[in-house]
Amino acid sequence: MRKEDEDYFLNPPPGSAAERAVEFGIDLTLTLENLRLTPEERIRKLDDHLAGIAWLKANARLKPPSKTTAHESS
Amino acid sequence: MKAVKSQLEFLGRHEIECVIIGGVAGALHGSALPTTDLDICYSRTPANLIKLATALNSVNARLRDAPSDLPFLLDEETLRKGLNFTFATDVGDLDLLGEVKGVGFYDQTVEGASSFEVLGYRFTVIALAKLLLAKRTAGRPKDMIAVAELEAILEAKGIGLED
Repeated sequence: MRKEDEDYFLNPPPGSAAERAVEFGIDLTLTLENLRLTPEERIRKLDDHLAGIAWLKANARLKPPSKTTAHESS
Repeated sequence: MKAVKSQLEFLGRHEIECVIIGGVAGALHGSALPTTDLDICYSRTPANLIKLATALNSVNARLRDAPSDLPFLLDEETLRKGLNFTFATDVGDLDLLGEVKGVGFYDQTVEGASSFEVLGYRFTVIALAKLLLAKRTAGRPKDMIAVAELEAILEAKGIGLED
């Protein structure tokens, strides 16, 4: 990727769509990371992300708050 | 879990005549926003409807927006009588659109489309500018987030960023 392309996302020019996206709350560093990948790598990354969410849903357990904090028990 | 990969392989394997739209199209164009379902705008030629019905039955497609006990025969005629369908399948959620709001039917959606080679298949993907149009027309909060990012990608491509 050319340096000027990276600059567009890392230092959005005033009045650009990139600047508006950042103001809207978009993290363009994530977009830039994706644009550095091939289309196939983008799909694999998307699936890895989905797999991670699925794993968390399957494995995360909500625990009741502990009566003893780490600080108190030391 | 390889949802999107499985869905794309399904499309490629069955040689469905369609244009990839929605979040997966955005991802292929470079968007970092997550998506889980695959949206396609499909050709409604009789041959493609037969192919689609066969393909969908092979992955146990069932309507997501209908009671599970509702009798539903998935064949060419059913697809011909309807237009847009939301399916849950063994390879993940798959949305079939006969018409993309703001863009049009298959013929308008495929016009100017991009072509991406992924997983050994060549896929037709809605042009970035048309995807933006569709997202703006849909206008839901999640679409407006996508619009902000896609506009930046489109502008970057306009100043020389390669696909």
